[in-house]
Amino acid sequence: MVILRVGMCPGLDEDLLGNLRAADVRTVEDLISSDTEELARKCSVSYKALLAIRRVLLAQHAAFPVSGADLYEELLSSTAILSTGNPSLDKLLDSGLYTGEITELSGGPASGKSQVCFGVAVHISHHLKQTVVYVDTTGGLTASRLLQMLRTETSNTDEQMEALQRIHIFHLFDIYAVLDCLYGLCSGGLQQVCVGGGSVKAVIVDSVSALITPLLGGKQSEGMSLMTQVAGVLKTMAKDFNVAALVTNHVSRSGNGEVQPGLGVSWSHVPRTRILLERVESAAASVSHSSLRSATLIKSSRQVPQAAQTVVKTYC
Amino acid sequence: MRRPIFSLKLSPSLKVKLVQAGFQFTSDLVDLSPLQLTRDAGVSQQEAREVLQAVRIHGDRVSLTGLELLKKEEELRSIVTFCSQLDGALDGGLPVGKTTEICGVPGVGKTQLCLQLAVDVQVPLCFGGVEGQVIFYDTEGSFLPQRVVDIATATIRHCSLLAEDEEQRVAMTTFTVETILSNIFLVRCHDFVELMAELHLLPDFLRDWPRVRLLVIDSVAFPFLQLFDDLSQRTRLLQGLSQQLISIATSHNMAVVVTNHMTTRLRGDQSHLVPALGDLWGHAPTIRLLLHWDRTQRLASILKSPCHMAATVQYQITSWPRLLSDVSSPVLPANSAASQVTSR
Repeated sequence: MVILRVGMCPGLDEDLLGNLRAADVRTVEDLISSDTEELARKCSVSYKALLAIRRVLLAQHAAFPVSGADLYEELLSSTAILSTGNPSLDKLLDSGLYTGEITELSGGPASGKSQVCFGVAVHISHHLKQTVVYVDTTGGLTASRLLQMLRTETSNTDEQMEALQRIHIFHLFDIYAVLDCLYGLCSGGLQQVCVGGGSVKAVIVDSVSALITPLLGGKQSEGMSLMTQVAGVLKTMAKDFNVAALVTNHVSRSGNGEVQPGLGVSWSHVPRTRILLERVESAAASVSHSSLRSATLIKSSRQVPQAAQTVVKTYC
Repeated sequence: MRRPIFSLKLSPSLKVKLVQAGFQFTSDLVDLSPLQLTRDAGVSQQEAREVLQAVRIHGDRVSLTGLELLKKEEELRSIVTFCSQLDGALDGGLPVGKTTEICGVPGVGKTQLCLQLAVDVQVPLCFGGVEGQVIFYDTEGSFLPQRVVDIATATIRHCSLLAEDEEQRVAMTTFTVETILSNIFLVRCHDFVELMAELHLLPDFLRDWPRVRLLVIDSVAFPFLQLFDDLSQRTRLLQGLSQQLISIATSHNMAVVVTNHMTTRLRGDQSHLVPALGDLWGHAPTIRLLLHWDRTQRLASILKSPCHMAATVQYQITSWPRLLSDVSSPVLPANSAASQVTSR
């Protein structure tokens, strides 16, 4: 539903608009769906002129087809695969995070989701020398932890500082703020953050479920709509700006005690690839401090679902 | 990229009105005056102004680079607990700007640790402290002033023994039991409504008292253990609460400490003690500290933290004055993480 305005297309002038309003035609949709002949009579405008307006408006608002060959060409030239810096995860992801796609990490508390995100951010900024946008919604990110990870990669202080400068951090704690930020990034923000050259290759949202869960449940219906908004803007951003989007999610237990990613079925269509991280419980100890995690690929368009053991860097 | 009106922070009914009037994207609204909008969408003048304001602030969220964040973090000091092993595991004490949950069974020392933190946060700057004030939300009625007096007396004695130069001696003259008590703001909350309402008023309170560096909720579990008709409502409230706490912690550089109960969960035919309030709440605190018993020893474990190594340390609670402190001769069970601490 786009509102009709003067100057939208030739022939749509103030008088005609007034007449259309009087006939209760306010939006493009109203105009398209109404009977042109009848409308022409009501508004005392020529049938031909109205038909021309209708045709222009349709052309303006329609999506246009792209040939598969062009699409493939574009895919080959623009897609990058970003290594996560963790070989076993890379194997699960078919060599890494793909730009233009949303990848999801889900897992319970302390399953290593944030640590994987830190690792990815550090790897991309240090090894690939690209800019990373990190949206922290849980307050879990500390720069000292990033520095700690960088120190294991390089002992050169300048390189460490350069890598840190390529990571742009947003601390946002409610969904509207994150939507503001994501739409802002889409309309120029992504170019703005990398003034010093390079380009943003990854946008990390840790965690997306912390934003949405306060709005779901009870008698709230707005949560779903906002969840769809987040999904939409992330997808568009990934595709249009060729960035890899990495999000984290919580887990819930189904009736039979099986662990599954949170946010329900409607969110499950959003990420292209989903990985479930779990702690590897040692047998007897009530409190285990192992840094070993298991990662399971549960949704992928490229790989057969499979599991792998991975060591998450909980400490270096 | 065009932004749909539904993603704006406006009331749902207002958004529906706008969409029905044919406005779909923020770009449709941005050039309008409040008067035009009132006419075209049939909303009141005030609503129109609200809408246009929401449309125009869009996109100006500030980011920090990793380096800027690092500089900011280096200026922040942690709150020492005066239990050196615990401080060691936490890299110098309880971090400000983060939320920490302390969970454990009754009597293990959750409230004791909270009360102690309420005093420790007030240690003067020249002693390496934070010199802040405390807001203490007591939901169980477990705040005992006499205990605070004991802890304060012990802390003052400890500091006066450490005082070496003139600056520290001057600081000691104002670091008294009276000032310590007057820097603690106690709020007794009887149910979750009172707690949530108080938290909504907190930003105003913090504007008047900018020196508050610690917020304690002892406990967050108790008000939410009441009967809820709809459990998903409880989850929603708790998730909202956790985002609110994180936001306060980050924007005011405050340490937020909440305590939580333990509950039993059946896994197969075995029962385990796990923190209460469900799995989803487990994501809420940035750092999760478990206080637990191993036969006669008290242990503190870091269950979850994105910036600390998982570790288990031993502590004790002395009988007089009641203080949570180091065990004089640490004897630790072989499989605990004490070995990891030393291997650092």
